[in-house]
Amino acid sequence: MVLLAKKKKAQIDPDILALTKIVGSKSILHHKEDLLSYDCDGFTIHKAMPKAVIFPKNTDEVAAAVKYCANHAIPFLARGAGTGLSGGAIPLNNEVIISLVKMKNLLSVDYENRKAVVQPGFVNLKLTNSISHKGYYYAPDPSSQYVCTIGGNVAENAGGAHCLKYGVTTNHILGLEVVLPDGEVIEISPNGILDTPGYDILGILTGSEGTLGIVTKITVRILKNPEAKKTVLAYFDRVEDGSHAVSDIISAGIIPAALEMMDQTAIEGVEAGAFPVGHPPDIEALLLIEVDGIAEGIAEQIEQILSVCENHHVRDVKVARDEKERDRWWANRKTGFGAMGAISPDYLVQDGVIPRSKLPEVLKEIRNISKEYSLRIANIFHAGDGNLHPLILFDSRIEGETEKALLAGTACLKACADAGGSITGEHGVGIEKKEEMRFIFSDEELEAQTAIRDVFNPHNLLNQGKLFPTPSRCMDIKKVVNETSLTKST
Amino acid sequence: MSLKEKELMKNSPPCSSNSLSNYLWEDHPDEEKWADCVHCGMCLESCPTYLETGQEQHSPRGRVHLIKSVAEGKLEVNEQFMDPVFQCLDCRACTTACPADVDVGGLIEEARGQVRQAMPLKGVKRAVSSFFLKGIFPHQNRLQAAGGLLKFYQKSGLQKAVRSTGLLRIMPDHLVEMEAIMPEIHQSTHQKYKNVEIIPAKGSSKAQVAMLKGCIMDVMFSDINQSTINVLTHNGNDVVLPKKQTCCGALHIHAGDRETGKKLAKQNIEAFQDAEKVVVNAAGCGCALKEYPELFRHDPEWKAKAEAFSKKVEDISKYLYDTGYEKPQSAINKRITYHDACHLAHGQGVRHEPRQLLKDIPGVDYVEQPNADTCCGSAGIYNITNPEMASAVLERKMENVPKDVEMISMGNPGCMLQMAIGVQKYGRGGRIVHTVQLLDWAYQADAKKGVNDGVISEKEESTDRS
Repeated sequence: MVLLAKKKKAQIDPDILALTKIVGSKSILHHKEDLLSYDCDGFTIHKAMPKAVIFPKNTDEVAAAVKYCANHAIPFLARGAGTGLSGGAIPLNNEVIISLVKMKNLLSVDYENRKAVVQPGFVNLKLTNSISHKGYYYAPDPSSQYVCTIGGNVAENAGGAHCLKYGVTTNHILGLEVVLPDGEVIEISPNGILDTPGYDILGILTGSEGTLGIVTKITVRILKNPEAKKTVLAYFDRVEDGSHAVSDIISAGIIPAALEMMDQTAIEGVEAGAFPVGHPPDIEALLLIEVDGIAEGIAEQIEQILSVCENHHVRDVKVARDEKERDRWWANRKTGFGAMGAISPDYLVQDGVIPRSKLPEVLKEIRNISKEYSLRIANIFHAGDGNLHPLILFDSRIEGETEKALLAGTACLKACADAGGSITGEHGVGIEKKEEMRFIFSDEELEAQTAIRDVFNPHNLLNQGKLFPTPSRCMDIKKVVNETSLTKST
Repeated sequence: MSLKEKELMKNSPPCSSNSLSNYLWEDHPDEEKWADCVHCGMCLESCPTYLETGQEQHSPRGRVHLIKSVAEGKLEVNEQFMDPVFQCLDCRACTTACPADVDVGGLIEEARGQVRQAMPLKGVKRAVSSFFLKGIFPHQNRLQAAGGLLKFYQKSGLQKAVRSTGLLRIMPDHLVEMEAIMPEIHQSTHQKYKNVEIIPAKGSSKAQVAMLKGCIMDVMFSDINQSTINVLTHNGNDVVLPKKQTCCGALHIHAGDRETGKKLAKQNIEAFQDAEKVVVNAAGCGCALKEYPELFRHDPEWKAKAEAFSKKVEDISKYLYDTGYEKPQSAINKRITYHDACHLAHGQGVRHEPRQLLKDIPGVDYVEQPNADTCCGSAGIYNITNPEMASAVLERKMENVPKDVEMISMGNPGCMLQMAIGVQKYGRGGRIVHTVQLLDWAYQADAKKGVNDGVISEKEESTDRS
């Protein structure tokens, strides 16, 4: 046994030894059993094993590890909490995963200038929790905000329920420290002052899905809590009525902080989950509407919302009595995806965007897709900004069902694109939707984008195989050929 | 895979539903349980071992993923698999966080059962484990004898001697810490009520309840058992202590010894057959009793019995809250915070009741602590088996305990020992008490003042107030 262990030790991969030197033996995983937990993120359909997982504690360690990987042509990628829904952190090419969860500090808060500096592994909700006693909060609130990291939010340009009024992550990023794919560390807008002349590099990096660099420090905007907040819950017998109510609320000139919708199957899921509210099972749709702002206008807006709902045959509509009731409604909504586990062994969530006015017809189309593939589809979504989340329920243990679910997902995205929308609102493209990029971009447009990637990530070692369709066009094949010759020549 | 294992597989394919499975024994982790997990990750931040390590194999979803992988034949039951499965504190915080109610706790315990059969403990670990788990806890008399030894150790001056001679220096740190906070041993309720059938309610009786004495509870914390009896009888309950009751088996089940767990469960189910209500003052035990049906999921006969039994089980704080209790008149003028025992908050959903109980005692200046429901690291015998992780978890816990409290109240003996270590180690004030003790002390003060003698008359109550 001892002999065997010694033999094993002698065989340890030199890359592992080198990385161990950089981060320390307690901050690296390389045994199969330990790596298995990293074979997927929140997107579980594709799985692949990493070469190793390292847990750097500071920017220097990240830079050193990246440099080593770059110099030795080892593919690598960054990972936060691994809650992404499009597979952005899945090691398709046996990558070294650089996990940033140990870099999880809040570095500074500047209330006067309304900004905070965090490390990438800092959990989204913790920022709000750390500054709420002063009356401040961080606006982007993806449903996974209890656990997801701000670094991951930057990579995916995460949205959330309240992005209708306040904008998505990119609208709240003031500065970044980034380790480039060759190991160089750069700071973009280090003082957190926007509107500097030149190209919007922050904008390019935010939402680049970890293909341009690894963010190691983030300056974010923090906001003062709104003076008042009211939340409305409305039940509709028909989906169409709910959809029309959404359009009318916006066209009445109200910009709700959040305007969320769930359909009947989704309601079945959340009611079977851990945070049931007692929604009636026989309604076709519910709306969760929140308005906030200066105390004065709120009551009037609520009146307007209630009357719009009445006009659209609402069955029942109520305003949250207190914070506790509001929290219950939101917990029910925000844990909605996970709650699908209670009614289905697997789900695939899609993330299409459509013009609000097309809501009724696209929902109808999704119902047709559900019938066509005989898979149940639940809809939980940010109705206010037309960001749909069809959740395709399936059982991967049944042969062929995973493939069927993927096809149904593609069909949903096609429906969104055909309606003049987009294939992703906030979850990113990752592995999941890379082929569907063709629904909205021409070859030339894709080429222009990969050209930008090549400026930052010329050897494509960082998070390879994500965001863009896999080589199937002559331009990509050309590139592969070029790269091979490049690697050979170096 | 060893030859022997292959042989086993041939003879009895317990995992007939999935031929790839590397679980080779009966009672293996349940597919239905992991099918609920969609890998969303909402559990991550609730898990003390993930917070400590940042590594996903030490997170709830990671563990579920590994447990599932063994069933899919991707992993074997080996050391590397054992580590994450045994590092789990069994605190059940993930069950609270999980949107789909995945029974991670059940899966972990079933997986531990497989590990212990595949890799039986060896050497010293085996000796220690079987000495305590099999040799002591399930046996009333031996427990009493051990209690007697401890009592002798404290009273005879031996403790003093050991402490002054520095004999402790040769013991591992975590055991030294434990020695330092060992509670004073009193006479157990087992001995005290040996010949008593029913301990009658003070005043008129409104109900009869059976009480679980617990194994360690009755030796190390018999004063809490006494307080529980006092509070129950004070509030009109006749209390019975069924003679045949035994250790709840929680520690055995946590350690992967499900067979002993089942034996103890059967004994308890039978011992409490005639009881209408089974009141428990140790959260870990209460939770285990409530989960007996899970142990017998493949045994319909016992499953039915276990279900009927577990419905009768109630934590003391919830029982008092639900059936009504008299608010004491005498004040306890202390600043007190409450720590949620995992198996009370996450395991049984009891959070509000004990807090309300504290707030109903006059004079109590109640302060809520941040993250009151995160684990303290005690976790049964976890602080003995995994001292390093337990102490890291404890440190995190102590950071949240308000600095100026005079008492920390809770409902579980394991937590009491661990928090006592915390208070001592980090040089903090704060006496560790069981919630029910406070109520008992307030009633006793009432009695001394002559406020009541079990029942307060309207008149007395009003005079005391004026």
